[in-house]
Amino acid sequence: MASQFSGVLQLTDLDDFITPSQECVKPVKVEKKQGGSVAKIQIEDDGSYVQINQDGGKKKLEKAKITLNDCLACSGCITSAESVLITQQSHEELLKVLQNNKTSGTEKKVVVVSVSPQSRASLAAHYDLSSTEAGRRLTSFFKGLGVHHVFDTSFSRTFSLLESQREFVERFQRKEQDNKSLPMMTSACPGWICYAEKTHGEFILPYISTTRSPQQMMGSLVKGYFVEQQGLSPQQIYHVAVMPCFDKKLEASRSDFYMNKEETREVDCVITSGEVQKMLEEKNVSLSNMEPAPLDTIHAGSGSGGYLHHVFTYAARHLFGEEVKELTYKILRNKDFQEVTLEKDGVVLLCFASTYGFRNIQNLVQKLKRGKSPYHFVEVMACPSGCLNGGGQVKPSPGQNPKELLRKVEELYKAERSLLPEDDSRVAELYQSWLHSVGEERARELLHTGYHTVEKMTNGLVMKW
Amino acid sequence: MKEGLFLVQKLSAHPDSRCWFVAWSPSGTLLASCGGDKAIRIWGREGDSWVCKNVLQDGHQRTVRKLAWSPCGNYLASASFDATTCIWKKKNDDFESLTVLEGHENEVKCVAWAPSGNLLATCSRDKSVWVWEVDEEDEYECVTVVNSHTQDVKHVVWHPSQELLASASYDNNICIYKEEDDDWECRATLKGHTSTVWSLCFDAAGQRIASCSDDRTVKIWKEYPGERELSWKCVCTLSGYHGRTVYDIDWCCLTGYLATACGDDTVRVFKEEQTTDPDQPVFSLAAKATKAHSQDVNCISWNPKEAGLLASCSDDGEIAIWSFHEGN
Repeated sequence: MASQFSGVLQLTDLDDFITPSQECVKPVKVEKKQGGSVAKIQIEDDGSYVQINQDGGKKKLEKAKITLNDCLACSGCITSAESVLITQQSHEELLKVLQNNKTSGTEKKVVVVSVSPQSRASLAAHYDLSSTEAGRRLTSFFKGLGVHHVFDTSFSRTFSLLESQREFVERFQRKEQDNKSLPMMTSACPGWICYAEKTHGEFILPYISTTRSPQQMMGSLVKGYFVEQQGLSPQQIYHVAVMPCFDKKLEASRSDFYMNKEETREVDCVITSGEVQKMLEEKNVSLSNMEPAPLDTIHAGSGSGGYLHHVFTYAARHLFGEEVKELTYKILRNKDFQEVTLEKDGVVLLCFASTYGFRNIQNLVQKLKRGKSPYHFVEVMACPSGCLNGGGQVKPSPGQNPKELLRKVEELYKAERSLLPEDDSRVAELYQSWLHSVGEERARELLHTGYHTVEKMTNGLVMKW
Repeated sequence: MKEGLFLVQKLSAHPDSRCWFVAWSPSGTLLASCGGDKAIRIWGREGDSWVCKNVLQDGHQRTVRKLAWSPCGNYLASASFDATTCIWKKKNDDFESLTVLEGHENEVKCVAWAPSGNLLATCSRDKSVWVWEVDEEDEYECVTVVNSHTQDVKHVVWHPSQELLASASYDNNICIYKEEDDDWECRATLKGHTSTVWSLCFDAAGQRIASCSDDRTVKIWKEYPGERELSWKCVCTLSGYHGRTVYDIDWCCLTGYLATACGDDTVRVFKEEQTTDPDQPVFSLAAKATKAHSQDVNCISWNPKEAGLLASCSDDGEIAIWSFHEGN
């Protein structure tokens, strides 16, 4: 099976096969228990392992399990990741939870689905609808399945953008003291983050914005804010994100987004646009003839425009008092490497870039290593053409030209009118009041995250001649 | 004169190590070699014999696997198991390390310069093929990363006149790439070998490819111009000649002779018979040097200017210079 991860992730050996001569080398943590002396281990008929103590007592032994997160933290092979992923994060998992809600009397979960605007655009293109319309009909589809709330992640993206703007201005102001404060690189793309952690570690990580991606911002909002509003506890909610990308599943399973105290993940499950389409087909429904239903959001309309755009205009205003109405993108080597500058009296005040796809990321990293990067800010995405072209999007229909489909998705995505994040008064208010109510320190936790170098293993077991 | 392969000279090129590859400079006056000792040596002719002119050290941390001269002859690129590709610039009679291309996840297996000299291709055990572009200031930028193979990519080679790239892999396939809408795409996959394809080369006109494999055969592929898709078909398979893996193949651009390097320590030269049907070429063994080396022959290369001058190198650390004479 061809890997569904982004090309960048595939290059980090993520889809390496464990060849027959190799085994998973991930050491499993063993909980040492006091008092144990000698015992026999017996294999039962069902394949389970049972410990037989000297006194004859039997105890079933726990199986050592490799989770997706173990794989992520390991620089060895990670092949099994894909199969682990399929068992932990899939639309079947969501259906299982919904089924359980229907049959079980207790342990019911409140199911929340957060849909990304890129996924809406992809499904809209497939069913010939507008993005907004696709969103409404998806809501009605999910609710019909028993989902309680359907949100739009463009709401949390506004949070992400506002926080990125703040972070950039703060970094720009300390650029003289801290040579790793700029360029600030965006962190919304999990493929890029995984690549950076596995291959460039300490060198590149300080440049990466600590602001959470819209998906994980939504995680915070749902399990931090929404739960309080609803009088629930975080583990009572099953939170599903619908995303354009497989790598987002890896992001959701990062330990940074696991709520230790509550023993729950901020986003429990990520399903792709393509998997939603599969769900629709399995239920024999088409979005085209679904009754629309309003989304539950405290939805505020924003949903397009990238990080570069919003951080640029905000920084121009706040740092230099310049109002930028329109950004002029200069295409560099290819359409996935573009540059925007703010000049005054012949002096470049701001120099921003967007780099999509592995080849451009590569050139950016090399520029940085050689001290030849002129950039203050870089929007980095692993996929060529960015998230709208994510690996989790609905695949072209037979005979459909992939480039034309992408163009259609881009149009549908852009057709949704967007507000500037700072003009989005309801979200801005919520952002302010929430931040205020939780305090500075907690707000940092809720809005930011951290990155960790994955040490290269020099273990002989992973050697391949 | 008698037909056959005659040994001109043996050079202890990379003693106590393996000699992986040899490459003639475009003018044919210099021969570069590389090996497991992490060194690159440049050999030139003095009188009747070949002598070491330069040793390029400290460029790489691990084995230097392959080399490529730029078409102008002023640059040498070296691909290493340390995951980097080093670009050396020739200055008078010396070489200086100009830049190091990083990016491959692990061992770089091969490097090749496009005929224009503006593009460079590299491939690696990480299964990817990269194309780099060089500007006037000797700055290199990555133009594409293509993942069309499912295993280690062993070799890359450019078409002699067009911007068309071919690669050979452990996945038994050959891929052909072309630029399309500012990115490179694999436009044809040549399937036929039943084991690792170790090397491949174009003929002088660029209409055919010869490939060699661990399946102990050599295959000749011919281009059949199509609408959009590139179409290459296998028109000839040379089997029964090689006792072990065929590691390298070179098609002489002057004479049309095919030379192979084999794991049975033998160097062979094949001649194309005069036939009427271009879709059914016939090759016959013209000469062979058994025990050409004491171990595997890793590489074979025709001098680009002097017809019949051939260089081979081996796991025994030596280079052999041969003179091939056609029968009258």
